[in-house]
Amino acid sequence: MIVVLMIHPELLSRLCHARDRLREWEDSVLSVSEVARTSGFTRFHFIRLFKAIFGETPHQYRSRAQVEKAKHLLILTDLSITDVCMAVGFSSLGSFSALFSRRVGMPPSGFRRRYRRGLGPEPKLPASVIPGCLSLMAGISEKEHFSRSSL
Amino acid sequence: MKIKLSSIMVENQASALAFYTDVLGFKKSKDIPVGEYRWLTVVSPDGYPDVELALEPNANPAAKAFQEAMFKQGIPLAAFEVDEIDAEAKRLKKNGVKFTTDPKQEGPVKFAVFSDTCGNLIQMYQPPRNGS
Repeated sequence: MIVVLMIHPELLSRLCHARDRLREWEDSVLSVSEVARTSGFTRFHFIRLFKAIFGETPHQYRSRAQVEKAKHLLILTDLSITDVCMAVGFSSLGSFSALFSRRVGMPPSGFRRRYRRGLGPEPKLPASVIPGCLSLMAGISEKEHFSRSSL
Repeated sequence: MKIKLSSIMVENQASALAFYTDVLGFKKSKDIPVGEYRWLTVVSPDGYPDVELALEPNANPAAKAFQEAMFKQGIPLAAFEVDEIDAEAKRLKKNGVKFTTDPKQEGPVKFAVFSDTCGNLIQMYQPPRNGS
């Protein structure tokens, strides 16, 4: 068993840069192996270390980041679903839609219809999509607050 | 005015709950669905039972940018007190927790820093003993 005793600043920095690279999909999407290699890791070691530090594999992290970015583009822009798909690094509309639906619980078109409606000429992300700090507690009904509290 | 609520942003509320309870040993306090997210808080069985820590989603891009910048610089975003930091660090490492700073003495306090696997570095500290 490989035991990593402590994550030194240099190693932390390399992992953080690798994480940034997983979100680069403008020109071409780097494979996890390529990101590992350019960050100075073997693929096996990179995936294990990434998961230990960030709680999910590089692939899982990238998929989640793609869906998050897609949500923002669907609300804030008029890009077609196909263009949103390509803007987040997918070449297949089918794969993108499937991933989006699986993660969000509704297809990209449905999500846009639900959250973009009536936002006006300069849309911004609604509070339900990006809750402000501590604002979620305002969404609890009084009855729920007192009946569910375990304190 | 009372300080009874603190909060920390997390990448994923479900994973955060698992880490903060199963690994760190906090107990779930409130877990109430609010739209797509949850009003999710934990309390410490070792501390005051009505002091809560909210595990908040970091869906706001500005919040995420801040969190990532702090992480990259090795700066913890929360600190928890323990009685025996060496034993605690050993227990956490056995549970797979990755440390960026092993327990070390700095002035009157001994501290360590680890990743909470939800986007944050967390500081753990042992205060000076009474009389020292």
